[in-house]
Amino acid sequence: MKKTNRILTILIFAFLYLPMLVLVVASFNTGKNLTIFEGFTLDQYKALFQDKDLLALLGNSLLISILSTAIATAFGTFSAVGIHSMKPRLRKTVMSLTNIPMTNPDIVTGISLSLLFVFIGSALLHQKESLNFWTLLIAHITFNLPYVILNVMPKLKQMNPALQDAAMDLGCTPVQSFFKVTLHEIMPGIVSGAIMAFTMSLDDFVISYFVSGNGFLTLPVEIYSYTKKPMQPRVYAMFTLLFLLIFVLMVAMNLLQIRSDRKKLIKQVKPVSSRQKTFRRVCAIACAIAILLGCGWLILSTRQNKVTLNVMNWGQNIADGSDGTLDIIAAFEEKYPDIDVNYTTYDSNESLYAKLAGGGLTVDLIIPSDYMIARLKQENMLLPLNFDNIPNYKYVQEAFKNTAYDPENKYSVPYTWGTVGIIYNAKFVDEADVTGWELLWNEKYKGKILQFDNSRDAFGVAQFLSGISINTTDAEELRQSANKLAEQNPLVRQYVMDQIYSIMEGENAWIAPYYAGDCMMMMDANPDLRFYLPEEQGFNLFIDAMCIPTCSENKDAAEKFINFLCEPEISGANMDYICYGSPIEGARDYMDEYLAESDVIYPDQSILDKGVSYLFLPAETNRLMDNLFMEIRIAGQQPEEEEEASALPVVLTLSGLAAAAALLFLPKRKHK
Amino acid sequence: MKKNKSILLSGPYILWMLLFTLIPLGVMGYYALTDPDTGAFTLNNLRDLGLFLPTLGTSVWYSIVSAIICLGLGYPVAYFIAHRSPVTQKILYMLIMLPMCMSFLLRTLAWVGLLETNGIINVLLGKLGMGTVEIIGTSGAVILGMVYNYLPYMILPLYAIIVKIDNRLIEAAEDLGCNGTQVFCRVILPLSMPGILSGITMVFVPAVSTFYISQKLGGAETMLIGDVIEKQFKTSNNPNMGAALSLLLMLMVLVCTGIMNRFGGEDEEGGVVV
Repeated sequence: MKKTNRILTILIFAFLYLPMLVLVVASFNTGKNLTIFEGFTLDQYKALFQDKDLLALLGNSLLISILSTAIATAFGTFSAVGIHSMKPRLRKTVMSLTNIPMTNPDIVTGISLSLLFVFIGSALLHQKESLNFWTLLIAHITFNLPYVILNVMPKLKQMNPALQDAAMDLGCTPVQSFFKVTLHEIMPGIVSGAIMAFTMSLDDFVISYFVSGNGFLTLPVEIYSYTKKPMQPRVYAMFTLLFLLIFVLMVAMNLLQIRSDRKKLIKQVKPVSSRQKTFRRVCAIACAIAILLGCGWLILSTRQNKVTLNVMNWGQNIADGSDGTLDIIAAFEEKYPDIDVNYTTYDSNESLYAKLAGGGLTVDLIIPSDYMIARLKQENMLLPLNFDNIPNYKYVQEAFKNTAYDPENKYSVPYTWGTVGIIYNAKFVDEADVTGWELLWNEKYKGKILQFDNSRDAFGVAQFLSGISINTTDAEELRQSANKLAEQNPLVRQYVMDQIYSIMEGENAWIAPYYAGDCMMMMDANPDLRFYLPEEQGFNLFIDAMCIPTCSENKDAAEKFINFLCEPEISGANMDYICYGSPIEGARDYMDEYLAESDVIYPDQSILDKGVSYLFLPAETNRLMDNLFMEIRIAGQQPEEEEEASALPVVLTLSGLAAAAALLFLPKRKHK
Repeated sequence: MKKNKSILLSGPYILWMLLFTLIPLGVMGYYALTDPDTGAFTLNNLRDLGLFLPTLGTSVWYSIVSAIICLGLGYPVAYFIAHRSPVTQKILYMLIMLPMCMSFLLRTLAWVGLLETNGIINVLLGKLGMGTVEIIGTSGAVILGMVYNYLPYMILPLYAIIVKIDNRLIEAAEDLGCNGTQVFCRVILPLSMPGILSGITMVFVPAVSTFYISQKLGGAETMLIGDVIEKQFKTSNNPNMGAALSLLLMLMVLVCTGIMNRFGGEDEEGGVVV
């Protein structure tokens, strides 16, 4: 029994530490892939310390967790004293209030808070940026408070009330007796509460994910969006350093505790002399001031005199300086030193729309696709551009002017254009099977097929295959397309957007529909990948264009950025990285020759003529498409025709509520 | 007099908690009962919840399975740790805590690297000539991810309870003629019940609401209720449906923890022992 326990414990520790070992090893890897160790290097650490964004995010996380812990600890301690002096019944009610954030799933806490902030901010105060630093701080304080209270309360209970009375008999005021006696007695509870609050706050992802806007992000939230894209190995380096830091801190804390335990065992602690006391106080005050100054400096350094330009773009959709390309944002910031670009990404038109429509953000520049521009325009979510600030508009090719989505050229300046085709791995896929979109429905490749994780593109694929117009608004035709997708569901390994890179490059799936430029990037990484455009059945031809949403606060800066990106040389350099076609006259000349000549990026005009653009669809159609897509995702069965309206869930929900209330209140009665 | 005054200290707290926990739940309820496009009152969102009941069922099922596995694996470990010397206990306790402080996003991502078709495990198996295993994308991988992430949440409360069990009780049971199994079933297990219950709660609640683990380790057929909620907010732009689903999730968790607490009896602060 004992032996099996020992072996099991060792195995469990191995299980817990294996993934972390993988990450630590990856931080020394020359390659980007987690699975293949190509060689030893320290470059990732160098890259980490040069990556200002990543360090700033770490700073943000520390700032939020230190501030929220400090506030929650002070606030929570006083509140615990107050709660402690309540009558049992009232105390119980307040404690069940305290338990709400503890027992609720994080996702519910996060969502309810974000709905509250958006509701108050947008609907009541008409504020543009209702999700910001302060809402994040409030959320963190809210979930930190219970940890402090739940740790302090037991200590208060254990404390001998006579102690406080004695202090007051000796002439202390209640306040003095609190600071001289009570505080000392409950200190261990306060410390453990604060430590717990700090770790929870530093590592919180779910609540922060829902509550933060794009202006102030914490490290875990941004790591989430990193994990959707091809991972930057420097993140592993950061993980390794944090791991070491926490390890050292924990060991140090344990050693100190063991030492002080021993001291206590050997002899009573010596009374502290008043000089030592003053020394300690000075130290404590100095620490507090240092922390506050540090935080203040961090806040100030993030809010310099610079204008912040909030750019939101697709993942992997701007040259970032890697692999010898031009770092576009750095070049722009160099040209305009008073503008600071805050760059965040989204992974589909729909998620961009949800971010904008959800409210609470300040975004100055977005790069959606054609149909989304039409929708945003229709819903009055775009600002007309001032073309006096965009003289480089003259370089835009005529073919990209007067488009269906922006016929008067008022709201948008094209950024890229491209096609949607199929990427497949020639090592595993028989060329004879590559005949059209039906490849994605081929039973032979079950479990090796990927599909778009956004309704419009996924429906588009099904519609090209079934010969239905991709711009249909007919509910029946949409259901047919949904049936087609449901048919495909059992074959699909995963519904992906930016995650496609690692899956296709690592040969974990073999076939996927995706955007040509991204396919080109994957083909660069894995030479077995091929791109195929089903010309005969038709394919989507799209334009991504730069627009300024109504929630923008720096229109001028955004227009400067647009103008900058329209310079042929810059556009060409950008396309070298993102591998799309440039709508800018002359940009092609600045591109690498093999890219400029590639027929994936620049197909023949005769082929392009067969491409179809997505057009604006009415809101009900979008909603129907979203719902049908969700049904496919959750059920994997054929969506039913016209569901009977059933009262069952309503009844279930209400009875659930009643059961919950009964369960919560019955034990109470039992107590009395 | 004194008591009355210190009660006032909790005033701001009560106000804060009302404002930032109860009222947000109310706002969530408001969203659940309104139409996403028109903002008018509707029961449609609640009606449509029926569509998602199978998904909720899957989530509950996965989390119960992983909570049971966590208990099975965690109990012996907690028992083992609790019977070491105090210094070893401290070290092992710290080693259990440590992973909890590291980014769970990256740690889960590492599992993707391990389990992938061409991942580390399969490469190693291939080198040993043992073929490959296809785990990623299955429910097994999702449950593995849950067990991996939430196992410490099971071990820590169990350890906290087991370490407090008075050895004299065990000796007494032995003196009275119990054999090893009987001692365990009649003394140790009942005494560690509060730890078991809070461990199960602490595994179940985050597991049932996760969306990251199923996104990374799951496949096309392992969509969980957390994924659906996240999608309603972050891509479908249907916060109203999302709010209704969150409400359903919250009620389900309330009912589950309520049932558990009734089994576990009183213990006011028993919910969180870390």
